[in-house]
Amino acid sequence: MGEPIMRRSPSIATLALAVVLAATLVAVGCSSSKKVSTTPPPPPAPDQTETQTSPPPPPPSSEGEAVEEKTSSLQDAFFDFDEASLRADAKTALENNARFLEGHGVAKAVVEGHCDERGSVEYNLALGERRAKAAKDFLVSYGIAAARLTTISYGKERPFDSGHEESSWSKNRRAHFVSK
Amino acid sequence: MDSNTSSSARSNDTARWNHAARGPWDRAASAIPGLLLTFALLGPVQAGAQTDVRTGIHASGTVKSPLLLARFRAEGSAQGAADEARAILRRDFELSGVFAVADGEPLREKLTPDPGQSGSVRVEGAVEQAGAGFRFTGEVFDLGTAESVFRRSYPFAQTESRAAMHRFNDDVLEALTGERGIAETRIAFVRQDGKFKEIWVADYDGQNARQLTHDRSLALSPAWAPWGSEIAFTTFKRGNPDLYLFDQVRGASYPFSTRPGLNTSPCYSPDGKWIACTLSRDGNAEIYLISRDAQTARRLTRNERIDSSPSFSPTGREIVFTSDRSGSPQIYVMDAEGANQRLLTLEGKYNDSPQWSPKGDKIVYASRHDAVFDVIVMDSNGQNSVQITYDAGHNENPRWSADGRKIYFSSSRLGKRQIFMMNPDGSDVVQLTQGEDTFNPAIGPRPRRQTTPPTSG
Repeated sequence: MGEPIMRRSPSIATLALAVVLAATLVAVGCSSSKKVSTTPPPPPAPDQTETQTSPPPPPPSSEGEAVEEKTSSLQDAFFDFDEASLRADAKTALENNARFLEGHGVAKAVVEGHCDERGSVEYNLALGERRAKAAKDFLVSYGIAAARLTTISYGKERPFDSGHEESSWSKNRRAHFVSK
Repeated sequence: MDSNTSSSARSNDTARWNHAARGPWDRAASAIPGLLLTFALLGPVQAGAQTDVRTGIHASGTVKSPLLLARFRAEGSAQGAADEARAILRRDFELSGVFAVADGEPLREKLTPDPGQSGSVRVEGAVEQAGAGFRFTGEVFDLGTAESVFRRSYPFAQTESRAAMHRFNDDVLEALTGERGIAETRIAFVRQDGKFKEIWVADYDGQNARQLTHDRSLALSPAWAPWGSEIAFTTFKRGNPDLYLFDQVRGASYPFSTRPGLNTSPCYSPDGKWIACTLSRDGNAEIYLISRDAQTARRLTRNERIDSSPSFSPTGREIVFTSDRSGSPQIYVMDAEGANQRLLTLEGKYNDSPQWSPKGDKIVYASRHDAVFDVIVMDSNGQNSVQITYDAGHNENPRWSADGRKIYFSSSRLGKRQIFMMNPDGSDVVQLTQGEDTFNPAIGPRPRRQTTPPTSG
């Protein structure tokens, strides 16, 4: 009962926190311009010299802009090639997400697992799911209710950056959070 | 044993596959009984050991049987149809991989035996008006004995010369080699459409391509039912990666498995009663058998890593699949009940997308090495890996033709991925599709009279 109400009219404190978090993320270097993407850039790859020129991730669903603002404050967790284990930077991002979710007791999110373009459709769908589940499991172990997080894998089929080099691939190997 | 396989047992990333060399499957023509038994001694045509600069493919000297295709005889208004039909047949013969095709004029007098041309054939054709359409009559002569070895007539409507020629091509191959051709088979693949991906179907050579799904979502991983009219595939149209069955007779798709998590990677059993697939309802990707009537689901793999991409052996008794249980994707095999799981691939750090050959003797798969993907063929016991694509972008999704004489695959060698076809030794690479990003080829069965699923029993 309380959940739909919260979606439509989040408390002032909630909004304020979201705005502060979003502003912080922008301040630390996110170059995406649309409101949907406060996704931070991935950690630098060793040979990464290009700037991010890719389009933002798919547009959000129309329901609840405030909720969208909140969950888009959740950071991506990035992975190594053919890996679903959490790197240190991924754990840092997920800890931030966990704290944020703790402060927004009812916000729900879909954890999307994504992969870079290398390898088969089928294997990457399975790998993307392992990534999404690894991110979810981390948040649940932190204390976030499992019911607030659902997972889905898009494998290699919905890349954030359509390039064909490591600078693009490193952005695409991620667990991405979308409001539900 | 399956879960304890150490990656250290395999060689390092610079895997050394045997380069494509003549193997038993190279000599397609040598299987021609009687007619061509002696041709190896009597002047076979060598395709030539050369490298196509554009494709980077090393032709490997596949031996082909000489075939002279005469200009088709026709009168009056049938001439246009005759010329069109002959062009289609010529391409079919060339794509078969069995013949070295030459052109000639129709016979003017009776052939005389010429032992020096034993193993060579001559194909004569004639097209005549027949009612509202045409009738093609084709005849094949053994130049060694001068005897007619095959003759048949095919009525066809104006727009159906392609189907008639495909059937004649397959009939000729059956008559000469004992193994029908694949010109009557069809293929499916996935093609990008803006931000969507849809399933398409086409003739065996990429012609007559048409869009099958209109899900406006992600439709992936098509697999043909053995009876030909149904295609299983994964679609995100309801948000989750679900398995659907597309009925090409009704022109509609139906949900097959919509369990939470992955419903992916379908492959029909040879008898059509089961669909092997990947489900993750138990927490991670495991291989299941689901009965075609969706009444029974049987789990085959149990480990905490990925198990995916099942492919049945032609007997249906074994399943080859991908697992990263050792830390990276490798090719494994198990009994169809899930027992006796064991590692097959001994080379390469990253091997995926296996498929059993129609005769059961080979397995084809894609391997990542030196940052590129290439197609590998090995014996079904994991021995004698041979790399058959080289130096030409990423080459993935290998799939056998229905007769095992060809391997379809997707390649990025010219930019966007497209579907290509080649001989199992890597020679005769032909591009079959153009346009938007195209991948995930799936090869249909030979046409059967049966167009309905088997009754379960």
